[in-house]
Amino acid sequence: MRNNIKVIIASCILQMKQSFSRSMFKFCIIAYPILAAITFYFIYMGETDENIISYVFLGTAITSMWSSISFSSAGDIDRERFMGALEVIFCAPTKFRIIMLGKVIGNTILGVCSMVVSFLVVTLLFKTKFTIEHPILFSISMLVGIVSFIFIAMLLSGLLAISRNTRVLMNCIDYPVFILCGAFFPIEVLPIWIRPLAYVLSPTYVLKLARMSIAGIDLYSNYNKHFGGLIIVTVIYIFGYLKFYNIIDIKARKEATLEVI
Amino acid sequence: MSAIIVKNLRRDYETTIGIIKKEKKIVNAINDISFEVEKGEIFGLLGPNGAGKTSTIKILTTLLAPTSGEALVLGHKCFGEEKELRKKINFIFGGERSLYWRLSAYDNLSYFCDLYQVPEKIKKDRIINLLEMVELKDRAHYKVETFSKGMKQRLQIARGLVNDPEILFLDEPTIGLDPIGARTLRKIIKQLSSQGKTILLTTHYMQEADELCDRIAIIDKGKLFALNTSEKLKENIDSSVIEVDLHTLKEDTLSKLKSIMNVTRVVANSYDLGHKLVIDCRNPREIMGLVNQQLSDNMVKSIVMREATLEDVYFKIIGGDHCA
Repeated sequence: MRNNIKVIIASCILQMKQSFSRSMFKFCIIAYPILAAITFYFIYMGETDENIISYVFLGTAITSMWSSISFSSAGDIDRERFMGALEVIFCAPTKFRIIMLGKVIGNTILGVCSMVVSFLVVTLLFKTKFTIEHPILFSISMLVGIVSFIFIAMLLSGLLAISRNTRVLMNCIDYPVFILCGAFFPIEVLPIWIRPLAYVLSPTYVLKLARMSIAGIDLYSNYNKHFGGLIIVTVIYIFGYLKFYNIIDIKARKEATLEVI
Repeated sequence: MSAIIVKNLRRDYETTIGIIKKEKKIVNAINDISFEVEKGEIFGLLGPNGAGKTSTIKILTTLLAPTSGEALVLGHKCFGEEKELRKKINFIFGGERSLYWRLSAYDNLSYFCDLYQVPEKIKKDRIINLLEMVELKDRAHYKVETFSKGMKQRLQIARGLVNDPEILFLDEPTIGLDPIGARTLRKIIKQLSSQGKTILLTTHYMQEADELCDRIAIIDKGKLFALNTSEKLKENIDSSVIEVDLHTLKEDTLSKLKSIMNVTRVVANSYDLGHKLVIDCRNPREIMGLVNQQLSDNMVKSIVMREATLEDVYFKIIGGDHCA
């Protein structure tokens, strides 16, 4: 256990050093939230502060954090493969899933920075009044949301370890997730048949819970329902992560997918 | 007890051909290979590209699953008992990869020490000793991306030793290095062997294998063709070599040379300034007169008689261009 924690911390620090030295990553966590916040501020200009916080700040913060955690973490597997480091970390005595967890947590910490950037843009640049009706519930839902994002990222990273084609999937899910989860508009405007897809993705719940915590909760049953949904999908992700990485360990070695071909 | 036991090992890769109508194909990389490596031995795997050397190493280092057969390292199955095995082994693949270029040499080694669960008490000393051994101590805190190829490869050696492994697997460790860099690496490998480490290495450089390896296995197309000490392999081919440098080479010369009694093989290679003939033969002194006679129509630059080298053994087993 102690060794695993040490590896998680070491992988997390290594990941932050590595990621921050990449210009693309800096763009994702610093420039993207600024540009997105400006764009969406002008779309929502004239709306109430509450709507600006809900859709400009939260939309930008969650989407940039999602990109940073899920998208970058999944891409890291490909980078490790091209550096030839994937084989080395795969064959270390520490479990691969523990090493990857450390790397994803590293990206998460940097992802939180993008949330801070969005907050600063909305409050300082546009002088929007930022109040949270239920700060404790807001913090709890964000915390569970981040854990949930971490395990989605782990699943995506795992998929990339066993298939080189998953990069296509990874690129395809970035923007569709923004649409499906209602980052910049309520998902109620989406066609009914597509909405079930939104409810298997944790950003949907995180956004709903955060908006309720900021604006005030009329119906606690509604809040609890969404919080329960977030917990259920997160548990499914964690269960999937534990099972999936055992499969990866065998499949990657049977199908020789760890190297660059 | 053998450190490595390989029995009837086989590895197939599944691939697809065609774009629209895809067809699955099985490519056989290792085909029924068996060998054993003793503790403390430097064991060389020689063979052309695609012979199955890297696949063999990858199976032994738990990176690949065998299709069939048995691969035991330090008594553990490479597929199924990797948890116990991974602590005791390490591997280095040639080239500049398998390192984090944007981190310093020290940070790289520190991270890999953590992955191999090296206790904190000995981690710092070990990193410093390793950096000293690979002559990178003064560059410990420089980013790897600023290193030359030779320095990166030496750092890879250090990385492969962070867990003080009982067995070290080296896949073409000196590939692309300049002669001084290659010599430094060979010195390190000898030093490791003198410390009792078992080393399995693959290389394309015959001289390197001859200098380093206690025993050598020659493989091609996934099959094992020869396994012995370098001396025995040379003895077994029961042959000496006459090397001839020529300005011009007439068409019928090769067949004429081949017809001389005691000549077992003739290999011709052409290059910009002429041709080189390698004549494998028995009793070269006795046939030298006849060889000279058959070469009289060609413009001979030089002619040298020598004992067979490992390269000759390799060419005899694997085959070479223009064999007559």
